[in-house]
Amino acid sequence: MGIGATHIDHIVISSNDSGTVAQAFADNLGIEIKRKMIRPGTSAQLAFAKLQEVVLEFAGPPQVKPGEEVKAKLWGMVLAVEDIDAAVAHLRELGYPVSDPRPAVQPGARIATVKDGTSGVPFAVIQYNAIPADGS
Amino acid sequence: MLTKIHHVGVVVRSADDALKFYRDALGLPVTADRVIEDQGVRGVLLEIGNSEIELLEPTREDTGVAKFLASRGEGMHHICFESDDVDAELEGARARGIELIDQKPRQGLAGMICFLHPKANHGVLVEFATPLKEGH
Repeated sequence: MGIGATHIDHIVISSNDSGTVAQAFADNLGIEIKRKMIRPGTSAQLAFAKLQEVVLEFAGPPQVKPGEEVKAKLWGMVLAVEDIDAAVAHLRELGYPVSDPRPAVQPGARIATVKDGTSGVPFAVIQYNAIPADGS
Repeated sequence: MLTKIHHVGVVVRSADDALKFYRDALGLPVTADRVIEDQGVRGVLLEIGNSEIELLEPTREDTGVAKFLASRGEGMHHICFESDDVDAELEGARARGIELIDQKPRQGLAGMICFLHPKANHGVLVEFATPLKEGH
């Protein structure tokens, strides 16, 4: 019995300059940066790469401070699950504090955050196709 | 050529405690669990989709993992990209002037491995791995 996790959906790399860090990964590792966007609400600067099923999300602040040394770190991870309500219920039953599932940035997806007990890893679960296209 | 995310490494104080979440609560199967004496760590790999999560517990205090734990606490430590030719990846990185930790591949839990210096990617520790044909 588990949460029905299918794969690592994405790994978040946090920095003070997501564009520069993403470019370093592209130059050093040959990874293609496929998409850049500004996160609605927070205006965080995001860049994305994908290797098979796993997305690398490079996240940074809206504005880069000129002259500041660029620093990045592996921040957290999100696992894809088949049924987010069942996954959340399972984790809560075991005593883990988990947020209520909420709409994710990804269209049609819902995400919930595990707030403790993850060995220091900011951790979430996500279900795609969780919200019908009509929003009901 | 890097083909996928092989694993993400998570430094933990106690692998047994971390397994309560990653194995027991999430339901991820353990594919390897052994002490690597020369690295001073107990490494545990858990399968998730086409990738793995690697729990790293220091077994002595004079290692990089132990120093990471002492200075930063538990959390994500490195990201490992799979290649079918770790020697070629290492030589390619060297040719591009990327600072290396390992001057030649060595055997690790994930197979033949090598690490780039975190300076190369603004603080993110990157590993390359070519799994051994007989698996873990």
